[in-house]
Amino acid sequence: MKAKEFYHRLNPTWCKGCGLFGVFDALKRAAAALDVESEDLVIVTGIGCHGRLNNYFQAYGFHGLHGRAMPVAAGIKLVNPRLQVVAVSGDGDAYSIGLGHFIHALRKNVGLTYIVVDNRLFALTQGQASPTTDFGMVTLSTPLGSKDFPIDGPSLALAAGGTFIARGFSGEVAHLSSLIERGMKHDGFALIDILSPCVTHNKVNSYDWYKKHISHVEDLPGYNPGDKAKAWEVLAHPEKIAVGLIYEEAKPSFESLVLPDREKPIASLDLGVDAQRLRKIMDWFR
Amino acid sequence: MIKDLSVMIAGKAGDGVLFTGNVLAKLLKRHGWEIVTSRDFPSNIRGEATCYTVRASLDKIYGLGDQVNILLAFDCEAILAHLPEIAENGIVFCDGEGVQTPSPEQARGKTFHRLFLRALAKERFGQEIFKNVMALGALSYVLDLDPSLLDGIISEMFLKRKGEEVVRKNTEAARTGFEKAREITAEKECHPLTRRPDENRVLISGDEAIGFGALAAGCRYFAAYPICPASEIWQWLVHYLPDFGGAVVQTEDELAALNMALGASFAGARAMTSTSGPGASLMMEAFSLAGMAEIPVVIAHVQRLGPATGMPTKSQQGDVLQWIFGSHGEFPRIVLAPGTVGECFDLTVGAFNLADKYQCPVIILTELDMGQNFRTSRAFDFSQVAIERGKFLSPGELLGIPDFKRYEITDDGISPRSLPSWKNGVHLVESLEHDEKGYRDEDPLNRNRMVEKRMRKLDHASPDLFAPRTWGCQKADVGFIGFGSTLGAILEAMEQLRANNIPSRFLQLRTLWPFPAAEVRQFLAEIREPFVVEHNFSGQLATLIKSQISPCVELKNILNYSTRPFIPGDIVEPVLRSRR
Repeated sequence: MKAKEFYHRLNPTWCKGCGLFGVFDALKRAAAALDVESEDLVIVTGIGCHGRLNNYFQAYGFHGLHGRAMPVAAGIKLVNPRLQVVAVSGDGDAYSIGLGHFIHALRKNVGLTYIVVDNRLFALTQGQASPTTDFGMVTLSTPLGSKDFPIDGPSLALAAGGTFIARGFSGEVAHLSSLIERGMKHDGFALIDILSPCVTHNKVNSYDWYKKHISHVEDLPGYNPGDKAKAWEVLAHPEKIAVGLIYEEAKPSFESLVLPDREKPIASLDLGVDAQRLRKIMDWFR
Repeated sequence: MIKDLSVMIAGKAGDGVLFTGNVLAKLLKRHGWEIVTSRDFPSNIRGEATCYTVRASLDKIYGLGDQVNILLAFDCEAILAHLPEIAENGIVFCDGEGVQTPSPEQARGKTFHRLFLRALAKERFGQEIFKNVMALGALSYVLDLDPSLLDGIISEMFLKRKGEEVVRKNTEAARTGFEKAREITAEKECHPLTRRPDENRVLISGDEAIGFGALAAGCRYFAAYPICPASEIWQWLVHYLPDFGGAVVQTEDELAALNMALGASFAGARAMTSTSGPGASLMMEAFSLAGMAEIPVVIAHVQRLGPATGMPTKSQQGDVLQWIFGSHGEFPRIVLAPGTVGECFDLTVGAFNLADKYQCPVIILTELDMGQNFRTSRAFDFSQVAIERGKFLSPGELLGIPDFKRYEITDDGISPRSLPSWKNGVHLVESLEHDEKGYRDEDPLNRNRMVEKRMRKLDHASPDLFAPRTWGCQKADVGFIGFGSTLGAILEAMEQLRANNIPSRFLQLRTLWPFPAAEVRQFLAEIREPFVVEHNFSGQLATLIKSQISPCVELKNILNYSTRPFIPGDIVEPVLRSRR
């Protein structure tokens, strides 16, 4: 096992108290627990405060476009399935502009770990409403209160056929890191939605607020993440936000279905021209 | 002796026009003739008028002719619609009862026959579908084709998939059609085609040739979203890439397709996507990312008629400027435009090498007419295919570099690459402006250095790019400039003009960007009357030339923005008019 400092490149400059510090720490711990080499780990990020993570984390990184982390990460994973590919997004990235990609990566069950850092608004752009902003909340873009009803990532994931659906809280780093670690070990798509306070723009959903509203599924007697009906029940709870490993199932990963041979990654194929083989294909056109 | 012949199969969508046309094209190709096909289809599955033209010639041809010699109509309404295209001594076969007799002046010189193929097929073979092979049999008689060649194609199509009985019935149906035509036509109506050797030639569409080029060039990751008329590239590759160790992935949209190709390329694959106008618009965002992050990628864009959804099954050259000036910000890109199916193959192979060498997006711009129609070509020469992956460090070399800089500022602007999983190669691909290691950097001086580095990558690329090709007379007053599938009509227009004692030259642009300014400037200096030929409304290529050549002589546009690609007459006529 490595020390988590192994992955520490720079000290972050997020606002003091930002939930992203907890996410950064949890991700380092999870990678350390799995003993992943820096060169075998790729962190793909979207656009938002979370996107700075690549600057601080020692690993290959891809800081792409707003909302497009999923297809980039899937392309990387399929070309080299030996890599540990972790995508990180915000709620705007994953559930607004990138929602289509999110659902389809889930549906395909691509072997990615998807960490969605949900602070319930657009923080980098100074605090506009996002798809997870509470109804009625006053933000920069909704001075009269948000008229949109929020959506819930883990519920969407369950409906779309997700095979590993977890929710953590950036105020509980040890718990969060164990969820990320399990997600990284999962063969298939793992969603870790994270309740993560924005201390600058969101004065409602604070650490204290979350502490009062979360409920750990591990504490529910007899909770079994294999039970889909039960998962729906905890996700639909009117007052409590379920955290922990909510749902898990075994299903073949996309790369195991699509790639001819996972032991021969596309990344290291010999591309030499086999003229004889190509000529045989050419015969079809004669 | 017949040297050139066009046969049109017409009917309603669902009538088997596509099947009949495809087989006829292959049959004539096997007789050693040069072939160009053209499909004119509506964007639906069943019910609307469609037609498929097969042109065969003893000379090398690249496009359609001006006239149709034989029309075989499964649907009699088609006859009146296509009558103006039919040659003086043309023959019209109509299947069925409903033929409306054309007026005597329309019908002059042409002969009309009824075939009743449907009824005959049902009576003899129990199913109407046999009418298609019967029609091919009838055409075999009129064109004096070798029946064994049609039998051979039938056997290739059906023996493995459907068994001997189906082959037997179809061969018999072909014979029935042959006899029927013999019965009803006069001998003077025959258009006998001489058979020539069919050696080392193929009949292939532009889309297939691009797919083939990608396969040969080592493309092993292909991501795309279905769109007409580009899907055939994917539908061809999907049969081969897995066997070569690669993957073809259908994405949720074109945003995902290009982003996924970029992820795949970053991880080490030669990656590609294909699309048409609406998908290209969605790809503009990731196109810019490819430029900023310097990720090699190949994008095939098969143009269709726009704007918006436009007409998905009609050809056009209306998206020329989209890739050249498109997307936000400034970054280098290469736009190639093949004019023949052979070039579709060669330029695709070249596109992958250029993308790797210059670490930038490369676009292969064609159009529906090139992409979906079939043309004969010499079989592709794989011994000429070389795979050059550019400035890749090896994992071994990286071990000796303690401070690897993925975006190192170099004289030629091109920086070394490493791949995820390679030790010492850790870096960030950053869509924000970044430093030499890839990390975000907002320093104004760094910004200037990085934009200059990226933009100078193509400064000395011209020897690697596909130079314009010059066709026609060395000394000529009339000159044409064009690109893509208008080549066929331009070359034949030049022949017709020569018959009118008007020699002409043609500069075929094969790289549209970086713009081949030196060659175009020289061409314009050598001719008196330059015509820019394009299949669009506003003259996008002419606009491009004027923006890149200054001062520029007066350019005359020959434009066609109709649903039908150019025929030679569309080009000859304005030239003659300008000299009157």
